[in-house]
Amino acid sequence: MTEIVVVGGGLTGLLASIFAVDRGAKVTLVARGRGGLTLSHGCIDVWGKATPSRALSRLRMSHPYRLAGAESLRTGLEFLRDLCHQADLPYIGNISRNLRLPTALGTIHTSALAPKSLALGDLRDNTPITIAGVDGFRDFYPELVVANLLKAGIAINDALQLPLPLSAARRDPYAMDLARSFDDQHFRDEVARIWKPRLSGIKRLGVPAILGLFNPQLAHEELQERLGMALFEIPTLPPSLPGLRLERLLQRKAMEMGVFVIEGPKVLGRVDGSAKPARVSGVVLQTAGGGRTLTADIVLLATGGVLHGGLVFQQNGRVQESVLDLPVSYDEGRQHWTAYSPLETQPYANYGLRVNEQMQPLGADGLPIYTNLFCAGGLIAGADRSGEGSRQGIGVATAYRAIEAALG
Amino acid sequence: MIRPDLTTDQCLKCNICTSACPVASVSDDFLGPKAVGPQAARYRYPHRPPSVPSLTWCSGCGICSLVCPHGVAVAEINIQAKAEIEKRRKTYLRDYLISRPELLGRLASPIASLANKSLSSRPMRWLLEKSLAISSNAPLPTFASQSLRTRLRSKCVDTPPDPGLESDQMVAFFHGCSSNYYEPDLGILAVTILEQLGQSVIIPPQKCCGLPLQSNGLLTAARRYAQANISWLAPFARRGIPIVGTSTSCTLSLKHDYRVILGLQDDESNIVASSTFDFFEFLTHQLADEIDQLDFKPLIADVIYHPPCQLRSHGIGFPALKILERIPGLQIRLSESDCCGVAGTYGIKQEKSLVAYNVGRTIFEQAKQSEVDFVLSDSETCRWWIAKHTGLPVYHPLEIMAKAMDIV
Repeated sequence: MTEIVVVGGGLTGLLASIFAVDRGAKVTLVARGRGGLTLSHGCIDVWGKATPSRALSRLRMSHPYRLAGAESLRTGLEFLRDLCHQADLPYIGNISRNLRLPTALGTIHTSALAPKSLALGDLRDNTPITIAGVDGFRDFYPELVVANLLKAGIAINDALQLPLPLSAARRDPYAMDLARSFDDQHFRDEVARIWKPRLSGIKRLGVPAILGLFNPQLAHEELQERLGMALFEIPTLPPSLPGLRLERLLQRKAMEMGVFVIEGPKVLGRVDGSAKPARVSGVVLQTAGGGRTLTADIVLLATGGVLHGGLVFQQNGRVQESVLDLPVSYDEGRQHWTAYSPLETQPYANYGLRVNEQMQPLGADGLPIYTNLFCAGGLIAGADRSGEGSRQGIGVATAYRAIEAALG
Repeated sequence: MIRPDLTTDQCLKCNICTSACPVASVSDDFLGPKAVGPQAARYRYPHRPPSVPSLTWCSGCGICSLVCPHGVAVAEINIQAKAEIEKRRKTYLRDYLISRPELLGRLASPIASLANKSLSSRPMRWLLEKSLAISSNAPLPTFASQSLRTRLRSKCVDTPPDPGLESDQMVAFFHGCSSNYYEPDLGILAVTILEQLGQSVIIPPQKCCGLPLQSNGLLTAARRYAQANISWLAPFARRGIPIVGTSTSCTLSLKHDYRVILGLQDDESNIVASSTFDFFEFLTHQLADEIDQLDFKPLIADVIYHPPCQLRSHGIGFPALKILERIPGLQIRLSESDCCGVAGTYGIKQEKSLVAYNVGRTIFEQAKQSEVDFVLSDSETCRWWIAKHTGLPVYHPLEIMAKAMDIV
């Protein structure tokens, strides 16, 4: 049985582990701290700037999407969608038309796939919308959402504030606290009872994403039915519930399928010095007691880019890959890393590892550095994920391709 | 040198720790690990107690440090700050007593049956709650009439044996207070398993690991215990003899807490740390070949495995699963709860016991609803607490392993 170590517990690492165990490999997933999903909106952005199915084939050949191939994206997304469907967290959408979802700032987030409770807020549907905040929750301002959507020419009805049946809290509730309350049947009954009379005439209601953590699908459907209108969620400031729900689902799925998960340690790669061509022999985990070696036939890095710890930008102007100190493609000199305005495309966003079509990191000679080392997700060079609206799509496609190439 | 306070600056205030905190999710008395820790620390004069009374609600489970993606030692910062509060007030008699399980064990062992009878009587528990604020709902362990050290006197040694032929198969057993005074049968099973796997087991001099003192903010006393243990154990570690324990919290103290929380960072504590193994970590890591050759007897049962929060902090995953999964007929579900709530002595305290119960409610309800035969957990206080609140038998995974090896 092929033993594979996946480093990184975000969307890419979790999916890669699941793909690998599905192909019969013995998988260990190592993650230092919870991954990017906790901070994410929970949607799968594939190409936000235009229709993904048309735009992707026109990208330059060095873009991660072109290297991974259209088929990897399609199959990976299909796999993810099935997983979510089976776990009662259905995702809606496809790559031939983006959803247009309102954000907590009143801007429009274009995404290929979104959880059903978010997708019902799709602005291509012109059912009039009302946005509601809830009393006591200070991380969501319905007036701001409405004002900005109106500026963008979206017909929107109104902003309002709804009460919650909470006892006097000793601190501001977090989105997570409220979501836990919504997991409770009695709480939902009470909410429906007090909200209903305040919502007469409303066709579609947007609320902050707080409708449950453990069983959000049930909470959403039940409230929708009780209120008698379309109800949708808008992701809040992190930690964001839609991201947490997806993280929880994938973590549990991975463990159920037999992935051995190690949370906590920092990871360093180990190179097999005697092998020709060069190979990695596994990783060393910095556990509570000290370094523990984990041998592996294959290592896959899904450690992310600069935001997630895969790349470390040093004060001395060096950009370093954090596990094996692999060669990173970047501009020398810190002054070149950022653009003049924060709203421009940032040069640093494109930095990362150069890879081939098998998702193997390449050296200066254009050849794989280690025959059994692969990578996926934000670590790969050549894409401005925030600007393109491509972060999750690249994660899914490259995770699929890397595992396919590694395990055949 | 690892200094928790210096990691404060790495905090981005992302709140991932707050969303994962078991206590903050059930109690609004606790502001959350970030708010009382890295956030409050920014306004804290060095070496002064933080003016955040809410901090005392922290149970010390350590999940905040584990999930932090930026390497902030949240739990460690908070435990040190709690000790600052403790320093400036008179220690409650209750906290003095419950943080010294070894002293209690030594006093009560000779009169075990009398002590057990009186501690399990209702009037006595009522009296303990009224006089000492020890919750009458909390499980108290029962004392064994003969300690492990008495029963295995021939294995007790003062110093490592002279270098000889057998020493490379030698294991030093760290029994902790619970295997010594409360559950010596468990300790004997652990020793038997190790011996069947070809190890020769010796029992080095040791005292309570000091974790209960540390959790109660009594760091000076904890440090004394730690220093004694380090000076006894270091000679064994230097001789290359691994130190193996069955209690995940004791082994975590030897690996991590002595160095990072109590600040004992020298060659001796480092070698003790790197030579210490959790029981199943040792089996799966050091004795993998021997384990592979074992033929487990079928054991038909549907069980929940609850990994203790203290095991999570080792950064080694849940190694017991690797062995349990090989036992034919054993159906294992994972606990839905990150922490059972008791966190050592936290749940025993009358003012904390309701919060502690609510933290563990998910696992209690899961155990009842799924109608499992029993629950498995590596830590003694978790086992006693889950047994008390579910009415189900709760075993250490090694008891099941022993059964499948036909040892019992």
